[in-house]
Amino acid sequence: MIWQQLESLAGSYPLAMRGLGMTVVLSLIALVFGTLIGFGLGILRIGGSRVLSTVIGAWVDLIRGTPFLVQIFLIFFILPELGIKLDAFTAGIIALTNLNACFICEIVVAGIQSVPKGQVEAALASGLSKWQRMRQVVLPQAMRVVLPPLVGQYVLLIKDSSVVSAIGLTDLTRVGWLVVQRVPNGLLVFFLVGVGYFVVCYPLILLARRLEKRMSAAHGEVQL
Amino acid sequence: MARCSCELPSGRFSVVIEFQGVNKWFGSLHVLNDITLSVQPREVVVVCGPSGSGKSTLIRCINGLEQIQKGDLVVDEKRVGDPATNMTLLRTEIGFVFQSFNLYPHKTALENITLAPIHVRKTPRAQAEKDGRELLAKVGLGDKFNAYPSQLSGGQQQRVAIARCLAMRPKIMLFDEPTSALDPEMISEVLDVMVAVAEEGMTMMVVTHEMGFARRVAQRVVFMDQGSIVESGAPEEFFSNPKTERSKAFLGKILRH
Ligand SMILES: Nc1ncnc2c1ncn2[C@@H]1O[C@H](COP(=O)(O)OP(=O)(O)OP(=O)(O)O)[C@@H](O)[C@H]1O
Ligand SMILES: [Mg+2]
Repeated sequence: MIWQQLESLAGSYPLAMRGLGMTVVLSLIALVFGTLIGFGLGILRIGGSRVLSTVIGAWVDLIRGTPFLVQIFLIFFILPELGIKLDAFTAGIIALTNLNACFICEIVVAGIQSVPKGQVEAALASGLSKWQRMRQVVLPQAMRVVLPPLVGQYVLLIKDSSVVSAIGLTDLTRVGWLVVQRVPNGLLVFFLVGVGYFVVCYPLILLARRLEKRMSAAHGEVQL
Repeated sequence: MARCSCELPSGRFSVVIEFQGVNKWFGSLHVLNDITLSVQPREVVVVCGPSGSGKSTLIRCINGLEQIQKGDLVVDEKRVGDPATNMTLLRTEIGFVFQSFNLYPHKTALENITLAPIHVRKTPRAQAEKDGRELLAKVGLGDKFNAYPSQLSGGQQQRVAIARCLAMRPKIMLFDEPTSALDPEMISEVLDVMVAVAEEGMTMMVVTHEMGFARRVAQRVVFMDQGSIVESGAPEEFFSNPKTERSKAFLGKILRH
């Protein structure tokens, strides 16, 4: 019986690869845009006008305080009501990017705030402009604090991307649901799905470790 | 080296820093109480006084690290805090040396020094690096250009910090207790650099309790207590013959150490 199930699973291999591909593509796009937007939001949260900072703060809290499944449904079902046509893929990208950007915003804010005040004062006193201070002095130092949770967030993102199966995108998780209808061994199927996610996440975890080592080797220790 | 204001180059304003009835509060705490003080070009003024008397706040107002709430503060002919004054531009003329050095830990000694010249003054990188190496040599660290701050001693870090300020060719240098975070054996190497800067004719305000330094290069010592300037005079005069009870008590305390 197990033999039969394995054979039938092997037949699902192309489908599984498609699902894995979808998960990777979704995550990658949301990772790139979420990071760019997240850094932008974090920097503006600290250095932007009061109004902008408050708006960003409120948005981030709203997104962090509501389930991702609800967000993705809202985007998928409500935007078309407002006349904005979008397919499941686009809706998934928007929802994931937004979620990712909001979490990264918080990570970046914490990183910026970890830079000692004296650093900003030294940069200020030497006549660097606001954005020069951010770019040359604050962000490079914030990165050491930002990097570990940032990569942790990427791992979460890949796992969160499984929620897009709820709006019908055939990602790795949905492939699991499809396969389990033909091969009634949920344990085996979802074990393999789990392996698929781990295979994508693990190199990221390794990469993070290497980056972290490289950064601290380049700087010497930060003095407090 | 003796200097006097009668040697001022003609045509220049005769005051670089002028406090006129300056007041500042932190909440309800009156930190600067009706400060009136002017500093001439090439003058070296030492500021001393007990902890919490407002010395740091006084010099931090000069480059706008703190804002004043009342009175007038004119620096290099520009009114500090006036919306018409470009503070970023004014700051390029004022070097500030911190008690805790505040070198950028992710940059080498040379990169610390060239950052502002390259990005603010728009000096070509090659020129900025050449100048930076010369400045490092001048503060006695010619071989340390590639060292990160964490690889330098406190005294070396503070000398890099001074070189970092000098690289902007400022008109004014402010020092906030530049040697009080240092081990005793490193104090003189930093003071020597400061003396050299003073002797080149830099206008300086120095918060310090280093009386030897004050005697060597200062034209004036200003004594602060509880946000006010209580006494001000030539170093010899102030140290040997303090006029107020508060300055006597203060000098008694620091000289006993
Ligand atoms: N950012 C701030 N907020 C509130 N109070 C402050 C702030 N900075 C300084 N103070 C207070 O203002 C007073 C003057 O501080 P300041 O640092 O100017 O004193 P100081 O003479 O430099 O003392 P020290 O010798 O300890 O450095 C102190 O009572 C201090 O606690
Ligand atoms: Mg102080």
